[in-house]
Amino acid sequence: MKIFGSVGVVLMMKPELDKNIAIFLLSSIGLIVLPHVYHMPIAVFGFFCLLLVWRFIGIWKQHWLPGKLVILLLTSFGIALLYNQHQGIFGRDAGTNLFITALGLKLLEIKTERDLYLSNYLAFIVAASQFLYEQSILMAAYILLVCCVLLATLVYINSSKAKTLGALKSAAIIIGQALPIAVALFILFPRVDAPRWMLFNDTHQARVGLSDSMEPGSISDLSMSDELVFRVKFDGAVPTPQQRYWRGPVLSHTDGKRWTQTTFNKPLRRPVVTGTAYQYTILMEPQDKNWVFALDMPIVFASPLSQNSGYQLTTLNSPEQRAEYKVSSYADYNTGPINRSEYNAATQLPGEPSDKIKQLVAQLHGFDSAADTFINQLLNHFRVEDFHYTLTPPVMDENPVESFLFKTRYGFCSHYASAFVYLMRVAHVPARVVTGYQGGELNKVGDFLEIRQADAHAWAEVWLESRGWVRVDPTAAIAPERIERNINLNRQTVYGFEAKNSPAYHWLRQAGQLWRSVDYNWQRWVINYDNKSQSNFLSAFGINDLKTLAYWMIVVIAAITAVLCWFMFYRKANAADKVLMIYNRFSKKLAKHGLVRNTGEGVKDFAARVKIKLPEQATEIDQITAVFIKLRYGRNASGEDLQRLKTLVGLFKA
Amino acid sequence: MQNAIHQLLDSANQIILGKPHQVRLALCCLLARGHLLIEDIPGVGKTTLAHTLAKLLGLHYQRIQFTSDILPADILGACVFDTKNHEFKFHPGPVFNQMVLADEINRATPKAQSALLEAMEERQVTVEGKTYPLPQPFFVIATQNPSHQIGTFPLPESQLDRFLMRIELGYPDHHAERQLLIGQSRHKLCESLPVQLPPEQLQAIQQAVTQVYVSDALLDYCQAIIKFTRDSSEYHCGLSPRAGLALLTAAKAWAFMDQRDAVIPEDLQAVLAAVAGHRLRAGNTQSEAIIAPILANVAVH
Repeated sequence: MKIFGSVGVVLMMKPELDKNIAIFLLSSIGLIVLPHVYHMPIAVFGFFCLLLVWRFIGIWKQHWLPGKLVILLLTSFGIALLYNQHQGIFGRDAGTNLFITALGLKLLEIKTERDLYLSNYLAFIVAASQFLYEQSILMAAYILLVCCVLLATLVYINSSKAKTLGALKSAAIIIGQALPIAVALFILFPRVDAPRWMLFNDTHQARVGLSDSMEPGSISDLSMSDELVFRVKFDGAVPTPQQRYWRGPVLSHTDGKRWTQTTFNKPLRRPVVTGTAYQYTILMEPQDKNWVFALDMPIVFASPLSQNSGYQLTTLNSPEQRAEYKVSSYADYNTGPINRSEYNAATQLPGEPSDKIKQLVAQLHGFDSAADTFINQLLNHFRVEDFHYTLTPPVMDENPVESFLFKTRYGFCSHYASAFVYLMRVAHVPARVVTGYQGGELNKVGDFLEIRQADAHAWAEVWLESRGWVRVDPTAAIAPERIERNINLNRQTVYGFEAKNSPAYHWLRQAGQLWRSVDYNWQRWVINYDNKSQSNFLSAFGINDLKTLAYWMIVVIAAITAVLCWFMFYRKANAADKVLMIYNRFSKKLAKHGLVRNTGEGVKDFAARVKIKLPEQATEIDQITAVFIKLRYGRNASGEDLQRLKTLVGLFKA
Repeated sequence: MQNAIHQLLDSANQIILGKPHQVRLALCCLLARGHLLIEDIPGVGKTTLAHTLAKLLGLHYQRIQFTSDILPADILGACVFDTKNHEFKFHPGPVFNQMVLADEINRATPKAQSALLEAMEERQVTVEGKTYPLPQPFFVIATQNPSHQIGTFPLPESQLDRFLMRIELGYPDHHAERQLLIGQSRHKLCESLPVQLPPEQLQAIQQAVTQVYVSDALLDYCQAIIKFTRDSSEYHCGLSPRAGLALLTAAKAWAFMDQRDAVIPEDLQAVLAAVAGHRLRAGNTQSEAIIAPILANVAVH
C-alpha cells in the first residue's frame, strides 16, 4: 500500500514541477556548502562543485546523468580523495567533508521523492556543521536564511500548486514560529561540552599575536592587523587612555638584540594597593597562548586564572576557545622589594656596554644621581633630541640599541622600550621590558573597550626602592598622542590619513560601533552560554536539578505551542468576530422586548421590524445597523467604525 | 445615475400599475446584463412591460411572435440570392435589435427556441458560416405561457438557465385594476414615453454594477444558500455554480439600485426568487414559495 502510494506521487509529479523542485533543492544545497569553501581542501570542494554542476545540467539533459557504474566509480574516487586529504574519516574536518561529498554523490541519484527528502535532510546536517567552524552572528543569520530555502524546498515538494515566493514565505513563517521554541531549548536544554574527538586530527589555525620574545621591529607586524584580541566591559568607570596598559609577558633577558622571558625564583607577593579598583570582564578571543591581558595591576581574579612572577595573568583553560574572565585591577600599586634573583635578572646585560653608551649615560647623570632623576633626564633626551616615531624604521645592524640611539633615531615602541631598559641597566637601575596592549577603542554603544592587534605595545618597568616596579613608557615621551589620545598613530602613519571630521565618517564610525556592540553581546550571551553560565542563569530562577529543568522545559514549550496555536486558530477570525460580538450585544438588548432576529433575516429587515416596535429609538437603530453593515459587508471599514459601533451599542438603551 | 434610475422606475410604474417589485426586478435584470423571462397567463401586461422598458431606455425594439411553425431563419435572418449582383445577401432577422421581445417562446418548436437561445448566449449569429455580431446592448425579454396550456413546448432546464431572472406578473390588485380600466390605452401611453436612460448611460451603469463590493461575509451567506439547495430534500437538484454567479450579479445590481456600493444579504434575498425559482423547479411558477425554505432556514450572520 505504501509503495503504491509513493509510486503514485512520483507519477503524479509533473515534469516541470519536478524541474522546479530540483532547481530549488540544488540551489539551496549550493548555498549551504558555499561557506565551507574557507576551510575545505580545494580538491574536495572542487569535486563537490563538479557533482553539483553535473546534477544541474542533468535537470535539462536527463540522459547526461551518470549510470550506476559511473556513480560507483565516482564514489570510490571521493573516498580516495577524502582519505588522501585527511588520512581517515575521524575528526571535525574529515567528518564534514565526508558529509559534503556524500551529499554531492547522493544528488546524482535523485530519482524518487524519497531521495529528495533524504538530500534535503543531509543538507540540514551540512548546514549545522558550519557552526563547528564559525559562530559569528552573520554566519548564524546566513545559515538561518539557507535553512529557510531548504524548508521552502520541502514546502515546494509537498504542495500541489507551488509558487516560489509562496513557498519561501511559508518557510519563513515556519522558522518564525520555531524560533521561540529554539530560544527556549537553547536556554533550558542541558548543555554538554563538545566531545574531544571532534577536535581530533584537525589543522590548527595559525594566529598572529604577541610572541614571548621581542626584537626591535617585531611588533610592527601587528600594527596593521585589525584583528580583535579581547574586549573589556567595566562595571564602573572606564580608565583614561593613559592608564590602559594591558599587561602581557615580561621580558627580562636580552642578548643585545632579542628580549626573552626569564624565570627567576620569587615568591609572588601581593602588591600593596591604594585607591579604587577597576572591576571588569575580559572576553578573550581565541589565542595561541594562554595569556590573559589584564589592566595593570591585576589583584583580584579567580581560577582558572593565575599570576606569574611578572604579574602577568595566565589561564589554565584552552586558549583556543573564547573565554570570559572577571578581574579587578588597581592603578596605584606598590610591588615592594625585590630579591637577589629578580635583581640579577633585571640588571642583566649581554656584555660590557660600549664607551659611547657609557658616555651618554654619564652625560645624563646616570651614574651620579638618583634613579628617577636619570629616568627624567633620559625621557627628556628622547624628547629634545632628534628622535622620531615611525612604523617603518630603517634596518638595524648588529648592535640595534646603539645604532638606534646614535645613528638612525627612527623607531617605535619596541625600539624605545628596549633602548630605555638597556640604558637603565647600564646605570645599574633594575629595569625590564613589558609587552602587551595599550589603549583600545571605546565602543560607545555597548560601553566596552575593544583591543585589537594594532594596539600591541611595549613599555618599560623600572624598580625604584620606595615604589617597587614602576611603569615608564618612553614612547609616550616621543609620541604622546599614541598614548594619551588613544589615536592609533600606527595605522594612521601607515595609511597616511588623518581622522576625518565629515558627518559620513562619523556616521560610519557609529554604525561600526553599533555592529561591534551587537557582536560583543552575541559572543557573550550566545556563544559563551556554556554549562557554567547556564547553571548560573538557571539557578537564578531556582532551577538547580535536572528534574526541575525538565519540568520547566515542558511547561515553557507547551506554553509557546499553546500561544502559537491560539494565534493560528483565532487571530484571523478575530476582527470579524468582534463586529459580530458587539452586534450580538445589541441583539441581546432588543431581546428583552421580545424582538429576536429570525434565522434568515438580514439586519436591515430586522431593523425595519424593530423600528415599528421602538419608534422613538429609530435613529439609533438606523445608525447601529448602518455601521454594522459597513463593517460587515462594506468595502473599506476602519477601526474607527468599530469603535463607533461599540459606543453606539453601549449607549443604546432598550 | 441613481436619479435617472428613480425616474425611470416612476415612469414605468405609471404604465404598469401595481407591480413595482416586478418592474424593479426587470430593470435590475437589465442592469446586470441578464435576459428576462416573464411567465404568466396572457393579458396581464407582459408585452407592455417589455415595450415600456424599451421605450424608457431608448432601445431599438422588435417583437417576435413565436408560433409552432416558426423557423430559425424567421428569427435570425437568411441569405437571399440577389439577382442584380448575382450573389447571396444576408438579410438580418428580427433578432438584430437591441431589445427583442420573444412572445410566447414556448409555443415554438425546440429548434426555433434554441436558435434564439444560442444567439442570446453568444451575442452573435452565425448563418452560412458567416458570423454577425448582435447590437450592443442586447436584451431578450421572453414571455411564456404556463406550460399546462395546450400547444406548448416547455423550455428544458438547461435553456431556462440562460435567463438571469424569471418573474411572474400576476393579476393586478383591485385598486390598480380600477385605474387600468379607467385610464387611457396602455399602448398610446407607451408611445408618448420619453427616453429616461439613453444606452450610453445604461452601459455606464452596467459597468458600475460590476464594481459593487462583495464581502467575505456575504459570500459565506451566498455559499450557505447554494449548499442548502444541494443538501436539502426540497429540491430535485441544487443550484449550479453558474446559478451562484447569477445570484451575485443580480444582487450587485439590486444593491446598486438601492444606492449602496456593497451587497448585503437583503439584496440576495430580494433577487433570490427571480434568479433561483426557475432553476430549482422549472415547471412551477410559484417562485416565492419555491425559495421560502431557503429564507427560513439559511441563517444570516
